[in-house]
Amino acid sequence: MSDLLDLPWHEGRERVSPREYVDACLRAIDAHNEKLNAFLHVNRDAPAGMLPMAVKDNIVTSDMPATCGSRILGEFHSPFDATAIARLRARGAAFVGKTNLDEFAMGSSNEHSAFGPARNPWDPSRVPGGSSGGSAAAVAARLVPVALGSETGGSVRQPAALCGVVGLKPTYGRISRWGLVAFASGLDQIGIVTKTVRDSAEVLDIIAGHDPLDSTSSIEPAGDSAADLGRGVKGLRFGIVREAVEPLAGEVRENFDASVEVLRRGGAIIEEASIPTIGYAIAIYYIVANAEASANLSRFDGIRYGHRSKRARTLDDVYFDSRGEGFGAEVKRRIMLGTFALSAGYYDAYYGRAQRVRAKLRHEFAEAFRSFDSLITPTTPEPAFRIGEKTDDPLSMYLSDIFTAPANLVGIPAIAVPSGFSRAEGLPLSLQIMGPHFGERALFRAAEFFESETGYWKHSPLPALRGEG
Amino acid sequence: MKIDRDEARRVAGLAHLEFDDAGLDRMAAEMTKILTYIDQLNEVDVEGFEEHDATVTPLREDEPRPSLDRELVARNAPAWRDGLFVVPKVIGGE
Repeated sequence: MSDLLDLPWHEGRERVSPREYVDACLRAIDAHNEKLNAFLHVNRDAPAGMLPMAVKDNIVTSDMPATCGSRILGEFHSPFDATAIARLRARGAAFVGKTNLDEFAMGSSNEHSAFGPARNPWDPSRVPGGSSGGSAAAVAARLVPVALGSETGGSVRQPAALCGVVGLKPTYGRISRWGLVAFASGLDQIGIVTKTVRDSAEVLDIIAGHDPLDSTSSIEPAGDSAADLGRGVKGLRFGIVREAVEPLAGEVRENFDASVEVLRRGGAIIEEASIPTIGYAIAIYYIVANAEASANLSRFDGIRYGHRSKRARTLDDVYFDSRGEGFGAEVKRRIMLGTFALSAGYYDAYYGRAQRVRAKLRHEFAEAFRSFDSLITPTTPEPAFRIGEKTDDPLSMYLSDIFTAPANLVGIPAIAVPSGFSRAEGLPLSLQIMGPHFGERALFRAAEFFESETGYWKHSPLPALRGEG
Repeated sequence: MKIDRDEARRVAGLAHLEFDDAGLDRMAAEMTKILTYIDQLNEVDVEGFEEHDATVTPLREDEPRPSLDRELVARNAPAWRDGLFVVPKVIGGE
């Protein structure tokens, strides 16, 4: 059984019947979820399916509840499937459960979940990253071969990096957001967590493409994402983002340099690239994302669905008390920051300014992609940190997205691929590859070369996890 | 940017969030710290870069289509009667 779930999806599906595949996932969840808290809901009635999957709990399905990691949604059951879910169902996916996340996808550690943090399978005293921490932990621990997540500022790549799996953030507009609960609509994108690059490409092809229910979904043709796998990197031009990599020291830097050597040995052309404004990404992000979130989250008001305060006597009470009781501290902090940035007298100085710096960042990336096929950095500035280590300092938590947030602000695709393990603690490290808009096929080509040369995806955290028990 | 308790109270009112005084003070301190970090955006020369880009979201044809099943909507409603959401009186409190 464990052999089956050690395999990537494209191999596992050849081995067993759809019923056996789904049942193996359900058994693995039963064996490990108590320790990992990766699932908020397990669908024990999941039908047979040749693609057993987990779904981040901010993507709605008609057969499971959706909490968004928040108390404010109460017992919410969606009347419909998200478009990505419907497309996967039509291709034989079986959804075995909903995964843990920071409340409304706001966080980098999963500690802001109202239902307790998911834990890192490599070391359960550490965070799995966030906000799609449950999805990354579930794939890393071999509970499911594939999970959906969502990205606003790195929320698939960062946890994928911390858990040692592959995380894809597609181009803005690649995948319909119909049924993804909105956080920051100018940034949000569904992402994919898998063990291998090929699985990521195949799942992307199932869910990508225009959807009339999401007018921001792109009409750009989708498909054939795996067409260039196996072609290697000979002659491809990779740019090392100098402003991101230069200040790095220690093991993350050494690991990155070793990753660059792998590409170089494959015949890639490696040079320095410059994105001078990249260091401002987190400052831009926390204005733009929170401003949009403050507007999007106004829908949670206790009127049409979700939690309504029992104390409320007046209509204003319904709003203030339901939101006060339903939202957690981090969500309130972000709504406050976003409301402030959009309020009269501060709009130009904060939101307007952040948008203009973002336009400059977008321009710098476009310039760099005139000279390079891909830009590379580490995915995160450090491996998984301990639960509780950053909860008292929101700003230091925010900075763990420093390498991932730029791709969201610019709208480009990016992929995180395992690049080894820290020496002392054996924690996963990760390489990030970013490409130009709608350049997923080339990203997969480069990432798959790196993966096949290094093979880090084959390492399993399960022996360590069992040893703890 | 320094946020004090009164400013935090003003923003909380706009955001439909309620805090006690200790909560307002804590929020004001956290916002001050984060906004001070964000103020580094003022260092950047943004001459020639606009707030909005020129891309336009295409709109679909405005054609009738089925809406949500009312029974499924009712199932999620905190209070529902005769096909309507029930709320407290809007005017005159109780």
